[in-house]
Amino acid sequence: MADNAGAPKPSSSVKLVLLGEAAVGKSSLVLRFVNDDFQENKEPTIGAWSHRPSNFTLTLISAAFLTQKCNLPTRTIKFEIWDTAGQERFASLAPMYYRNAQSALVVYDITKPSSLTKAKHWVAELQRQASPGIVIALVGNKLDLAGPANEESGVTDTEEEETQGDEENRRAISTQEAKAYAEEEGLLFYETSAKTGENVQTVFEAIANAIPESTLKPRGAGGLGGAGRGGAGEQAPVNVGDASRPKEGCAC
Amino acid sequence: MFSSLIQKAATYLTEAPAPSSANRPNKAAIFRSYFRLPDNQTPLQEITCELTAPTGDHYVGKLYLSEAFLCFTLYPPSSSSAAPATAGVGFTLPLCAVRRVERLHSRSYMFALAITTWHGAASTKEERLTLQFTGMRSSCESFCDRLKRALRIQMSEVKNMKLLTETCYSEYLLGTTSESKADGKKREKDPPDAGLGMLFRYPGDSRKLRDRSKMRLWAEYLRENGRNVTLIRQPTFHKLVRVGLPNRLRGEIWELTSGSMYLRMFNPRLYQDTIKEFEGRHSLSIDEIEKDLNRSLPEYRGYQHEEGIARLRRVLGAYSWVNEDVGYCQAMNIVTAALLIYMSEEQAFFLLSTLCDRLIPGYYSTTMYGTLLDQRVFESLVEKTMPILWEHLNKADVQLSVVSLPWFLSLYINSMPLVFAFRVLDVFFLEGPKVLFQIGLAILRINGEELLDATDDGAFISILKSYFSRLDESAHPRSENEKLRAVTRFQELMVVAFKEFSQITASTVSEERIKHKEAVMSSISSFAKRTQLRNLGPEAKRLDAADLSIIYDRFHAALYERQLRDAAEQEKRKKQVKSSSASTKSNISSNPLSTSSNPTTMDYNTFRDFLSTIAAWGVADTPPPPPQTNPYTSTAYQPPPQEPADHDFIHRLFRRFDSDLSNALSLPNVVSGLAGIVGHRKDLMHTITYWFELYDDDGDGRIDREGILRISEALLFVTRRSLPPPSPTAEIDPSSIFLAAVSGFIRRCFEYADEHVYSPTDPLSPPPLIDLPDLPSPPSAMSPSGEKKNLRDSNPVLDPKRPLFVTLPTFRMVVLADETLERFFESGWADTFILSKNRNPNNVLSAPMDSGLHAFPFSGQVPSLKGIRGVLDGIVDEATRVAAEVRRRMEENQAAEIQEEEEEGEKEGVGAEEGDRELLKGAEAETVEMGRVRSEEGEEGERRRRSLKVVEERGEVEWGVEEGEGKS
Repeated sequence: MADNAGAPKPSSSVKLVLLGEAAVGKSSLVLRFVNDDFQENKEPTIGAWSHRPSNFTLTLISAAFLTQKCNLPTRTIKFEIWDTAGQERFASLAPMYYRNAQSALVVYDITKPSSLTKAKHWVAELQRQASPGIVIALVGNKLDLAGPANEESGVTDTEEEETQGDEENRRAISTQEAKAYAEEEGLLFYETSAKTGENVQTVFEAIANAIPESTLKPRGAGGLGGAGRGGAGEQAPVNVGDASRPKEGCAC
Repeated sequence: MFSSLIQKAATYLTEAPAPSSANRPNKAAIFRSYFRLPDNQTPLQEITCELTAPTGDHYVGKLYLSEAFLCFTLYPPSSSSAAPATAGVGFTLPLCAVRRVERLHSRSYMFALAITTWHGAASTKEERLTLQFTGMRSSCESFCDRLKRALRIQMSEVKNMKLLTETCYSEYLLGTTSESKADGKKREKDPPDAGLGMLFRYPGDSRKLRDRSKMRLWAEYLRENGRNVTLIRQPTFHKLVRVGLPNRLRGEIWELTSGSMYLRMFNPRLYQDTIKEFEGRHSLSIDEIEKDLNRSLPEYRGYQHEEGIARLRRVLGAYSWVNEDVGYCQAMNIVTAALLIYMSEEQAFFLLSTLCDRLIPGYYSTTMYGTLLDQRVFESLVEKTMPILWEHLNKADVQLSVVSLPWFLSLYINSMPLVFAFRVLDVFFLEGPKVLFQIGLAILRINGEELLDATDDGAFISILKSYFSRLDESAHPRSENEKLRAVTRFQELMVVAFKEFSQITASTVSEERIKHKEAVMSSISSFAKRTQLRNLGPEAKRLDAADLSIIYDRFHAALYERQLRDAAEQEKRKKQVKSSSASTKSNISSNPLSTSSNPTTMDYNTFRDFLSTIAAWGVADTPPPPPQTNPYTSTAYQPPPQEPADHDFIHRLFRRFDSDLSNALSLPNVVSGLAGIVGHRKDLMHTITYWFELYDDDGDGRIDREGILRISEALLFVTRRSLPPPSPTAEIDPSSIFLAAVSGFIRRCFEYADEHVYSPTDPLSPPPLIDLPDLPSPPSAMSPSGEKKNLRDSNPVLDPKRPLFVTLPTFRMVVLADETLERFFESGWADTFILSKNRNPNNVLSAPMDSGLHAFPFSGQVPSLKGIRGVLDGIVDEATRVAAEVRRRMEENQAAEIQEEEEEGEKEGVGAEEGDRELLKGAEAETVEMGRVRSEEGEEGERRRRSLKVVEERGEVEWGVEEGEGKS
């Protein structure tokens, strides 16, 4: 599956770490990205014996390691993904995994306000402790639980939303709120659904695009280029250019 | 979540296996961990002796006696002992399992005992141990004496021992084989629970595992050497463990070699009681457990079934309740699921707690410091033993622990196929945690060549994954030698681990742990600190990073100190209990599994400790009571040098900080509390409002007479140590300026107070104060008492019978009317907190001063001024005390008794009323003296001070006399 994308595109590997509160859907996101698969209920975090697809190189107690290639028009990116455990006490192990990571996916659950708070902590931690050029994407998962009407339009009045029926819309964090935060911090920002697959490929493509070329050759050497930050949150879908054909983006 | 880590890490890292011991594991702790004994055992006697086992083998070694055990080993335990006693020849015999002890008739210079064990007599042939003592006759005698006494006490445990043995598979095993001989009918009962394997089959092919022949060998061994509690370990025992335990005995031998069997014996009801007690209760741990139940060894059939899941749920749940500090950590589900395949719930419960407390302490704690530390140790061992591989890893920038951490955390259960992981566990329980390191090193050594080609995490991981999946294959498939071909990769792994890495011993591991603990601890605590500081609310932004850092440190220091103190006291109590009753159960039964919990919040007393480290006024004036007769010997704990103050004001501050009304302060509480003070430095109006609210108890925007007095008292209280020493150049002593300001404050408050229109139906209005009995008026300074009444009439506001109050605007006005107070509220108050070291605090009166003022000891730096200081000191003290006295009187008259103040009264050593008078006299005398010494202040100042006292003392006001003084 390696070089099927075509001729001599340069290929490089990128270390990516997933962080976020327990049960926000980190593993589901990766599983969807790597395997285009989603397992209802069986999901959550660590040990993850229940899903052990062939791509899972090894499933570990504190984090799972997976790889997936992502073909961009000009190059191939091989993601080496560390999917960390969400249980709070495992947080002290996180530095082990984000060390030298060139990119990070900080995931929260759009139906759970506390998970955004936690995500913000992770962002702060990464900005202070991880490699200087790290590309961080903030991802609000479980978009499928938001009402169908307002996928894109920001939900401003969250309180009103909450009073509505559970089935309809369980969104508790508005797109605008999270987006504004992401812009302020210079993060990529997406809302995804691992269940439907919506935006999942897009996120990884956006990250792949945002990694500055200069940091790619010597693996792990964090470049100083700011890694496509700054306003990326808003622009990112455009940067990818063709968000309309996610399937093609990462063909594996 | 991380809050407790400093203490936790500290407590763990400074000790070896036994909890709650001080820096170095003491002799008793080493002894316990060596023989795998419960925490209440101590070595009482020891003697050299020769053991003759029932099999006829002789061994010379040491015999130890503890409260409930008789232990024999060839090598005496020491801090650097290589392995636990279970790894060598010997026995650990509970005294309750001793049926008979006989003194052998022998030649006069010989001293020998024959011990018949519980199983000895039950079995067909007479089975006894012979112990021949070597040593002075007297020491032999004293050993025997002690033994006799201990045996008698332990008689009561026989019942528990019987209960235990009934659940041991070995009893069933040997019982059925000798069934034909004795009571055959009884033996037909069901075998005891030997884990889920009995219901769902044990993992692996039992024929391939040669389970039957192993079982035969074990039956033979157990018959000759005793079983479960009475087992004697001979070299065969270790060989039998190394080749892998048979399925149905595995749980029992794990229990025995880890020592968890003894815990279970002495706590026969703990598991069931815990289940019952906490049934249906919820906690974070319970929720987390629930999420993981379906992900714990799901490939094993038992866990695809409700029965297996239910057992796992109960054991993990019970443990999370018994040890709430650890609660539940992912990976415990995997380990417990593995245990439950081979043992009953109760057995697994005690083995799990032995694991968490002893074998791998800190692995599953909230910070996982044990895990991180052992990873560091492992890395350092790799660097030492395989330098080339280590260098390669560094070059390739692969972090070893991302690979090895899960091995340790799940004891290889999640990494290797189950059958092999259990073989590792067999040895692990016998020989201790060094086994984890040996296996890990062997894995790397065996795969070394291939690993040298791997250049990233992915390649590294996949090499090892493929290795683990082929452990059952031949290690030398192409070898000509058939025997060599038959060696599996797993056997090879065991050989490499225990032969090539035999130099990795328990002491290697503990030395390495000591070497790395500091680095690991500091990285954990800095991680926790920045996480926690980031977690604080928006209020925290009012404080700068340095302040936050200081608050964090002091907060945790206070918690830690308090914990040490509590622990020391507990220890003391324990000792008392112990000395009063020699029963072994005295402290086992009081929840042996729970370690002292690590608080993350401060109660009021801890808050006082905390304040005493960040504010000068937080330190009490009275020196701490002299240390009693060595109360804290057991830990290295020393009481803090400064006794924290206790004051109504501190109570109020505590309540104010406690914004979530939990009666405890978390770090965010404290930070936002302090941010509300220090963060508003220079914000005069805010601070005035803050103080007003502190004393507006019912939140109705009014502070009554009582409150006003309390405020003035508090003002004196918080400034009593923060006042600068009178500098020789300053004309007026700052303390007296402040005193004057406070007295002016009271006066103005009363003057401008609104009168509460009293109506009996108004619930807001306090009941009228009862008239004070006429105090003998102080000799001087009073207007003639005749006029008093008139005055009172003419100024009804001053009448104590009439309720009055100040509102915030009045309060504000009164404060602003005085420059000194204004300065205090503007910045002085905030500056009484000593945070960042480099801040140059302004004095509360913002008079020029040296920066060291906060710490200025009242004992006086400047000898020549000592006298004056003493007097001043007295005045401030007196003023606060008098105020307190007044209140006491008022309250007494209202038949309300407040204990605190009563105590204060008692302290005076005189009857309350007399005390008052004395007090007053004292105050008088001092003011007079004061006036003399500081004549430059003039009479006015003195009068003011005196009248302040009178006001406070009598609760009534004679301001009329001094009306002329005017307002500044």
